[in-house]
Amino acid sequence: MRKVGVIGAGMTLFRRRLQETGKEMCFEATKMALDSAGLTRADIDMVVNGTAPDAFDGVHMKGEYLLDGCGGYRKPYTRVFTGGGTGVFSSIAGWWHVASGLADAVLVVNEEKMSSCQPHPQSVFAHIWDPILDRPLRPNLVWIFAMEMNRYMHVHGVKKEDIARVAVKNKRNAVGHPCAQLADPKITVDDVLNSEVMAWPVQRLDISPPSDGASAIVLASEDFIRRRKIKDRAWMSGVGWCIDSTMWTDRDLYFPEYVARAAQTAYKRAKISDPRREIDFAEPYDPFDYKELHHLEGLLLAKKGEAPILTREGVTERDGDLPVCPSGGLMGVGNPIAATMGQKIGELFWQLTNQAGKRQIPHEVHTGVAQAWGDLMPLWW
Amino acid sequence: MTFLERTTDARRFRQWEGNVEADYIYTSGVAGERFFVALRDDGKMLASRCTACGLDYLPPRLFCEDCFLELTEFVDVPPEGRVAAVTMAHLDRRGTPLSRPQVWALVTFEGIRGGLVHRLLVPPAKARVGLAVRAKLKARGDRVGAITDIEGFEPVRS
Repeated sequence: MRKVGVIGAGMTLFRRRLQETGKEMCFEATKMALDSAGLTRADIDMVVNGTAPDAFDGVHMKGEYLLDGCGGYRKPYTRVFTGGGTGVFSSIAGWWHVASGLADAVLVVNEEKMSSCQPHPQSVFAHIWDPILDRPLRPNLVWIFAMEMNRYMHVHGVKKEDIARVAVKNKRNAVGHPCAQLADPKITVDDVLNSEVMAWPVQRLDISPPSDGASAIVLASEDFIRRRKIKDRAWMSGVGWCIDSTMWTDRDLYFPEYVARAAQTAYKRAKISDPRREIDFAEPYDPFDYKELHHLEGLLLAKKGEAPILTREGVTERDGDLPVCPSGGLMGVGNPIAATMGQKIGELFWQLTNQAGKRQIPHEVHTGVAQAWGDLMPLWW
Repeated sequence: MTFLERTTDARRFRQWEGNVEADYIYTSGVAGERFFVALRDDGKMLASRCTACGLDYLPPRLFCEDCFLELTEFVDVPPEGRVAAVTMAHLDRRGTPLSRPQVWALVTFEGIRGGLVHRLLVPPAKARVGLAVRAKLKARGDRVGAITDIEGFEPVRS
């Protein structure tokens, strides 16, 4: 398979409600990514779109609807969707377009306009449940996470304040992000612990917000990058994806085995044998603060139950030994489901090419890992 | 297992009822806002111009889908258009016959990329490709900035 690099990235503001239509948001992110790569739409062979179920934007066949904004006019164009994992998985789809030799340059564009859905996107999430076993009980999606968080806290004896530190870190990291929706330079652990209880132990500031936003990246083959003399590139050295039993009741909720399996696939492909030593920073998926910890352990960057300790000791701060979510993550920048590619893959590109501005990790970094859930992750260096 | 009896009434079987309720509020977007405000306040249709490709888009767009230029220049759509295609709807969306057929048309305008699908305000027998038409708008006080501010397209010469 051919070597693939990321050569450009762009994203829109993330806000609770943007005036732009989904197409217009896609255009803004795509144009930014093309400009940053020094390319035009004519240079692009194929386009991948990642976006959540049509019910969020309220447009059926929304992949086709978004096509022109994604730069897909008269190009081979595919939409992929794997739940929240789309934030990283669409770039894996882009990777295989190039790695296989089918394309030299590919755009990957992710979008979500969650403000359309009223009164709250949660009303659509309510319909992911089994219509006969679960829905007659009128469950709420947050309940799953609350139980997973509870199980994680119970197994390892994790204190709520150590989880709250993740929210504080990410919302503070997001202060340096020009697109951020929920940056807060002054937030404290007490603020998180005193926020409204949604479904115990999940409180208001433990959870990321719904957002409107789009993000885009440009991928290219090694030949293309050399031919065009492109200097700013981050190589995708390994990718992996995996899904567990679809019955969440059949997993042990305290450890994400599916992330570990995806990570092992990616590390093997990237010839990484000791991830904690060889990986310099991470952008794990953090729709909830505890999820960052959960996923760090799944990525084998912390032992089981160790991630809260690393967080408390400052290891995962931007200037720590293993910076985690230097972008500000979903907790700080926002959570337009698939468009979180901007904080995950986009951030890896910006950090690795020294373009992260105020968010730049102060020490030298060569290898990063991004992961999104829907159980997926790629790895880069 | 295969059902041996044939029925089209699913309620006769053991069943669970469900409802995927979903309600939406959409934004018309940056280019859409220009289009609908001009339609409501000035009673005219705008197209957005791509100066690089020499194209005017209707409905207007924020960007050229081909060269990817951001479009900031808006021009008036000519008042007279032509019917490019027609259809007569005989059934409603539930399959019930309509009391009289509805006439729908794709209307295009010279020099304009794209067009509008809308009602054609003629009897079915008079609906034909090539008919010269113009938009029939609601009275200014009744316009709200929506595609339904246009009642339909009517012949230029009756």
